[in-house]
Parts: sequence; structure tokens; C-alpha cells
Amino acid sequence: MNLTSLYTLAFDKPAAKLPAHDLWFSDHAATTAATHTDWMFMWLFWFCTAWFVVLMGLMVYFVVRYRRRPGQIAPYSPSHNTMLEVAWTVLPSLTLVFMFFEGFKGYADAAVAPGNAIEMQLKAKKWSWSLIYPNGTESPEQVTTSPAGPVKVPVFYVPEGTPIKFRMSSSDVMHSFWVPAFRVKFDVFPNRYTTYWFKATNLDTTDPATKTFSADEKVDPINVKFAGRPYIDHYIFCAEYCGDQHSEMAGIVRVVPMDVYLAKIEAWASESLEPWQIGERVYQQQCIACHSIDGKANTGPTWKDLFGHEVEFTDGTSLSAADMSDDTKFANYIRESVYMPSKKIVKGYQNQMNTFMGMVNEKQLDGVIAYMKRLSEKGQPADKK
Amino acid sequence: MTTLDSKTHGLDHAHGGHHDEGSYLTPRGGWISTVIQWATTIDHKKIGVMYLTAILFMFFLGGVAALAVRFELFTPVRLDANGNVTGQWLAHLPLVGNVEGETQNVNPGNNLYNRAFTLHGAIMVFMVLVPSIPASLGTFLLPLMLGAKDVAFPRLNLLSWYIYLFGSIFAVLSVLMGGVDTGWTFYTPYSTTTDADSWRVVLMILGAFILGFSSILTGLNFVVTIHKLRAPGQGWFDMPLFVWAIYSTSIIQVLATPVIGITLLLLTFERVFHVGIFDPALGGDPVLYQHFFWFYSHPVVYVMILPAFGVISEVIPVHAHKKIFGYRAVAFASLGVAAVSFIVWGHHMFVSEGELAATVFSALTFLVAIPTAVKVFNWIATLYKGSIALTTPMLYALIFLFLFTIGGLTGLPLGTLSTDMHLHDGYFVVAHFHYVMMGGTIMALMAGLHHWWPKMFGKMYNSFWANIGAILVFIGFNVTFFTQFILGVKGMPRRYATYVDELTIYHQISTFGSVLLLIGFLVHLFVFVHSLVAGRQATQNPWGGLSLEWETETPPIEHNFHHEPVVKHGPYDYETTVPPGWDPKDYPIPHAARSHAVVVKH
Repeated sequence: MNLTSLYTLAFDKPAAKLPAHDLWFSDHAATTAATHTDWMFMWLFWFCTAWFVVLMGLMVYFVVRYRRRPGQIAPYSPSHNTMLEVAWTVLPSLTLVFMFFEGFKGYADAAVAPGNAIEMQLKAKKWSWSLIYPNGTESPEQVTTSPAGPVKVPVFYVPEGTPIKFRMSSSDVMHSFWVPAFRVKFDVFPNRYTTYWFKATNLDTTDPATKTFSADEKVDPINVKFAGRPYIDHYIFCAEYCGDQHSEMAGIVRVVPMDVYLAKIEAWASESLEPWQIGERVYQQQCIACHSIDGKANTGPTWKDLFGHEVEFTDGTSLSAADMSDDTKFANYIRESVYMPSKKIVKGYQNQMNTFMGMVNEKQLDGVIAYMKRLSEKGQPADKK
Repeated sequence: MTTLDSKTHGLDHAHGGHHDEGSYLTPRGGWISTVIQWATTIDHKKIGVMYLTAILFMFFLGGVAALAVRFELFTPVRLDANGNVTGQWLAHLPLVGNVEGETQNVNPGNNLYNRAFTLHGAIMVFMVLVPSIPASLGTFLLPLMLGAKDVAFPRLNLLSWYIYLFGSIFAVLSVLMGGVDTGWTFYTPYSTTTDADSWRVVLMILGAFILGFSSILTGLNFVVTIHKLRAPGQGWFDMPLFVWAIYSTSIIQVLATPVIGITLLLLTFERVFHVGIFDPALGGDPVLYQHFFWFYSHPVVYVMILPAFGVISEVIPVHAHKKIFGYRAVAFASLGVAAVSFIVWGHHMFVSEGELAATVFSALTFLVAIPTAVKVFNWIATLYKGSIALTTPMLYALIFLFLFTIGGLTGLPLGTLSTDMHLHDGYFVVAHFHYVMMGGTIMALMAGLHHWWPKMFGKMYNSFWANIGAILVFIGFNVTFFTQFILGVKGMPRRYATYVDELTIYHQISTFGSVLLLIGFLVHLFVFVHSLVAGRQATQNPWGGLSLEWETETPPIEHNFHHEPVVKHGPYDYETTVPPGWDPKDYPIPHAARSHAVVVKH
């Protein structure tokens, strides 16, 4: 048996689960690289446990064995031993070298995307994620039961067993994209792109966490076609503190078979929507964190009954009800508020919003304006409602 | 020794020239003049006691904020069927209203929660952990351990104290104005844009900036004191290891703190004058801020932990009546840790920086593990064949070893790149640094406080209740923070006001533990107050220590020593030395060693 095979036997079994694995991890590592990370973590856990037990065992033994007895002082014993001291300095250092290399190996796997990865764009802002697929569409799906707090979060579809690469950017402060099941996070910056790649493991129908599509057409008519097909959901969290609703900046990565993924993004691309429906989607994906549509105040003003009602600004100026009922003036106000939000701040609110230039395009802006009118009593055409 | 003599004479003058030999605590004159004497004192012992009081008060404030954090996390925030938000605890407290100008949030609890954890972090780091042991025990003990009458620059020492007070006032003011929600790390561009219309953030940043000067001046003072004011016969390797630890700490304070000063100033310029340095919207780079910030804030972790190593290196030999194992290794490990601490800051940015930087910093980070492990081995080896008394300080030293070993070992998966990508910025990190900072520094502070309390205040405390407090703190600490390791691995991010259902049970166990911690510290508070009011008189050397502070009276006289002490034995020579103030009958040195025995006469 040569050294290499000995090494392989002792350390290089990343697929094997070490004992007590389930005490720490309640889910399966969901990518190829994550399996190695789990193995590495458990290896370190047992390494640390062994050291801890030895050190604390000695400590407790000494404290009991050499407890103070009246009328006696401690007998002489050496207070220095070069051999011992060199040994306990050098030997642990060697294990540290192993940890560094093994950790580097896992890091290299997790950090460097293969050339054939499908590239998608991940955009972060306070306080939501959005994913733009290679065909330019975005997922309109959201889950109603939120994993983290009282807001809806988006569902991103990705194909199983395929390398995927997210090119990530932020439009305001720093965020960090973390899918705990993938065991990797990486920061998202406002001034540069960063990469996050993964290859989700193939769906395992024996895993209790794997679910199947139901034939419920209310979620998406296309789901009927896929009834019974498997999928698995993983949480997305923001791991870099980003303000008020940092803890609600969550999402779901849904790993699905390739054909389901392709059918989904194709269907979203070919959808024909009314302008207000486009606006509603933009609202749910990008605006809902700060603006309500039911009249309640939030970080920003509500969108309910915006059209046709006077607004006052912090600088003392205002737009009258007549101005706000004028299609062009209203649209200009909204356009300015989306692209240059700090120009006019509604009384009672703070200058909190960053520009959505590059996040909301002209077509989407028209949609938002149409949606706002629809949410306003005065904005309803006579034939509607 | 002539230079030393002239220096100490000079100090006599500085103290007002009187030669009253009463305890430094004896009030002279009415209460008004006593207050003035304390406020204008240049006696390092009084300044040390004032630091101790302020630090313990700040620890209480930071602790209240920590309890608020645990309280909010007792249940996750949810929407019920009627669209009402449930599970928010802070938002319903009658005492705390919503922060001015921020009433519009759908989650008012988040806002308070964010302020609570920022307050907790900022207070605990800048006002408790950084000054903790060096400013309180260090200022009090350093001249005593060196056999000096005071630190090298007594007036500078008083100035450091006032700077600390001034900086703390800025921070408290910022809290009274509504608090800050940036996190104690002030990461840009969030910190330069949040609460844009308010001065709160600027006040908090300036508070930290000012506190830095207190740290620099104290460090400078200590370095000079150690170089110049050692007693006759005290060479570098005759110094107690606490002094070595303080020396290493002071070097870091002097070299690293200016960097945070400059960084915080740049941050203030960016916020107030919109000079683009860190904010991309102004042409800056947020990662640059992180490099600057951690270039200070990583070494400062060792400013917090090295003095704790020093305390443990005193407490273990004294309560085991045993020479420390590997004195030189422990002393050089302190310096080694101090040196390596300057080149590992990049491990705070494994998931921000490029691959090359991450790899280099991971390799360097593992270097820190070596001297730290060596120290733990030495402490445990010191116990071997000792004569171990389970006093409260010793109990706390053992608690330190237990918790710090966990804290140190859990650093390994964080230094390992692949596992760190999962654990970074999650609860595993939170648990790790609480095991190191609270399980390490605060437990060592408790050990040191119980060790030197009789010397500082001349009173003994009730050991039984102090031990009960220590055990409660130990259990409470583990219940609170060990669960957070599990939370981190299962995917709980830092600074979240809510969480997914699966994690509820762990959060509730953690909150339960924090209540135990509170009870433990309240027991200690009771023990300390009881000791001051009704404690029995302490003897000169209750534990049998051999370093110089045990050779003087308890509490020390104003000028520390009646005569300049001459060092004739090492601080840990237990085989050959009867501890000062002890009857040789109570410390029977074996016949073989007696020929070398030194009996210190007073």
C-alpha cells in the first residue's frame, strides 16, 4: 500500500457520511461541492472533539488527582521540557497543513465555475432578490408561506445536475447570497460583479424533502403538464446585514428536471400580459418590501389611491389633486420617483429609496403606472370594476 | 538604579509630596473633597478602580441589549390569518417607542432589533472588551507587579480615563437619540447612507474614534512603564506573565488603533461631506473599508484575548502553587500571537475577496492556532502535580480553559476555506466569537476580578455564593451559545430578526440560557456588593501569590510599597519560596529545596 492510497483511505472519502452527521446537518448537501464541505466539517468536528476530550480529560484528572491537601505543598516537577514542547508545537502544525489543503480543494471546487455553466444574472437590492434567466425572463412565482417573516419571496427555478453560474450585482448596499443547502455564500457588491456557481445534485425521489408538482392550475397552468414530477426547494438568505428587512430578504431555489425548467422559462417568455399585470409583477418582485397596496404606511408611501390625490413633499412643495389626475404629470412624477427617488420625498417619510435605473425598464415602468392607476379609485376607467 | 530612584522621587512630587501611608481607599476629608480627589487622581489604583466600575456598568448595558436580542428571537415573526404580524416582542415593550422618523415600517420590531444588536456589539467591543482587562486590572496591577509607584506617565493615565469617559458619552448620546442600526462593524455603504438625516451614526462613529485614543495612550504608557520601571532585580524573564501579556497587548494597541482612527474619520467624511472613499455611488469601494476595518479589528481581537491569557497565566500557578510550565514559551507565544495577528485580517473577507487573497489569508490564519494551542497545553501541564485549590478564581480559570478550548477549536472550520463559505456570517461565527470573547476574555476578567478583589478592596467575598454564580454562568453560557453552533450549521444567518420554523427550538433554548446567564451575573453582583459592605478583612496574601503585588499591604498603600522592593525570586518559584505574608509552618518546603528557600521579610 503506497502513501497515496493510504491518504485516500484515511481522508478522501467525501461521499461517506461521518458519524453524528445528522446532529449537525438536518438537510442533505444539495450540490457536488457541498458534499465535500459536509465531509470536511464532520472531519474537523471529530478532530476537535478528540482534542477537546483529551485536554479536558487531563484537566479534570489533574484537578481531582492533585487537589490541595492541608500541610503539603506541591512536590517538585519539571516546569520545562524542550522535547515535549517542540512536539506539541510541531505535530498539531502538521494537521493544520492538511486542513488548509483540504479546505482549499473544497474552496476551489466551490469558487471556480466550469466553462460550460449556464449563466444567469442575480440582482440584489434592499430587500429582494431577482434572477434573470438566459432568455431574459424572470420567474413570476412566489411562495405565500414565507420562510422568513411576513413577506412573500420569489421562487427561482434551476435544472438539476447542470452547472449554473450566477453573475451577481447589487443596486444599493452590500448583500450576500447564501443557499444553506449548497453550503456556499458569496457577497454581492454595488460596484462589481461576483460569481456564484453550483451544480445541484440529481433529484432523489427517496428523499422526504423532495416534493412533486400537483395538478393545481392556480399556481401555474403549465404545472398540470408536470403533475407528479419531482422538485426540491432550498432556502435563500441574505447573509450580509443590509438594514430594516434584512431578515425578510429570502427566497427559494427550486431544483427541477431540465425539461420542466426549460418549459417554465419558455412559458414565462411567451406570456402576453396587460400593462397593469406587468406592473403588478414588478410590484411583487421589487416594490412590495417598502410599499403597500392596501393603504397601510410602510418604509415608503402606499400605492393605493395614489392617482388623483394631492401629495406633499418634505421640501414644502406639493402636487395638487389636479396635477395627480393629469396622465402626463402623474406619469412624470412616478418616473422621477422610480429613477431619481431622492428628488421628491413624500412628507412623513425618509429618503430611503435608491434608484431603480437599470432594474425597471420602460415597459415595466409603463406597467407600474398602469398598475398604480388600477389601485386608485379615481384611476379606474368607467367600464372596469 | 539611580535613574529609577530619580524617577520614583519625581513621582512622589507628582502625588503631591505628602507621605501619608494609609490605604489608597482611605477617604481624606469630607465626601466632596473625596470625590474631587478621585476625579483628579493620578494614582493608577484609583484610575483602575474607576475603569473597572465604568466597564462593569457598560457590561450591564451591553448585557441588557443582548437580552433584548434573545427576547426578540424567542419566536419567529409571522403573519397570522388576519394579516397581523405576530412574534414581535420588542415592538410591544411599553418602554421603547418607535425610533423617530422610522415609524413607517411594516416590521417595527426589526428596527428595534437592529438597534439592539448594534448597541450590544458596539458597547461590548469598544467599551467593554477592548479596555476590559488592560484598563481595569492592568492599570491597577501593572505598577504593583513591577514594584513601581505608578505608571510611567500618571497624568497621561488620567487623561486616558477621561478620553474613555468622553468617548462613552458620545456613544450613549447616540443611543439616547434613538440608537444606530449599522452593526458594530459600520460596513459601507450601508453605514454611510442609513439614517441619512440624523447625527446618531456620526456620534457613534466618533465615540469609537475617541475611545481609540484612550486605547493608544494607555498602551503607550504601559510599554514605557514595563521598559523603564521594573524593580531592581526584575529582568524581563522575571516579570509575571500577566505583564508579558499586557506588553504584547499594548504593542498592538499602539500600532493598530491609529488605523481604525483614520478609517472612522474617512467614514465620517464620507457621511457628512460626501467625499467618495467607500461608497460606490460616490466612486468608492466598500471592500476597501473592510480591509481598513479588519486591519485594526482583527489585531484588536488579540487586544481583548491576550490580557485574558495573562490573567490565566497568573491564576493557575497561584492557585495550584506550582511553577508555570514553559514560562518562556508562554511569554513568546504572547508576542507571537501579537505579531501574527497583523497578517490575518483577510479571513473576515473570505466570501468578499478574490480567490488568491482568500487562499493566502487562510494559510496565514492557521498560524494563529499554533501559539494559542501551545498556551493551552502549558496551562494544563502546569496543573500536573500541583496543589490545586478550587477557589472561585481557579474555578473561573478552569471554566476559561473549557470555553476557550471550544472557542479556539471552532476557529478551525472557520479558517478552513471550504467550510467557512458555509459558516461565514452565520450563527456558527457568532457562537465562535462568543466562546472566545465571552468564554475567554470575560471569564478571565471574572477570574482576575475574584483573584485580585481582596487586594483591590481589602475585603474577602463569600466563596460559596461566588462559586454558585460561576457555575450558573458556565451552564447558562453553554446553553446560550452551544445551540448557536448548531443553528449556524443548519443555516441561520447573523443579524436576523426572524427565522424559519425548523430553528425555533434552538432559539428558545438559547434564550433560556441567556436568562440563566443573567441570574448567574446577578448572583455575582450580590456577592460583590455584600463583600464591600460586610466582607471580612482580607489578609495581605490570601492565595499565596509570589508576584510583587502580594508583598505590599491589602489594600495597597497610596505609594504602593513602603520601600522599593527588590526582586529575589521569580513570580512562580513555588518549590523554593514561602509566599510573602505566609507562615513557613503553613508552607512546608521540603528539606531538599530548603537550602534555596527565600523567606521574604517585611
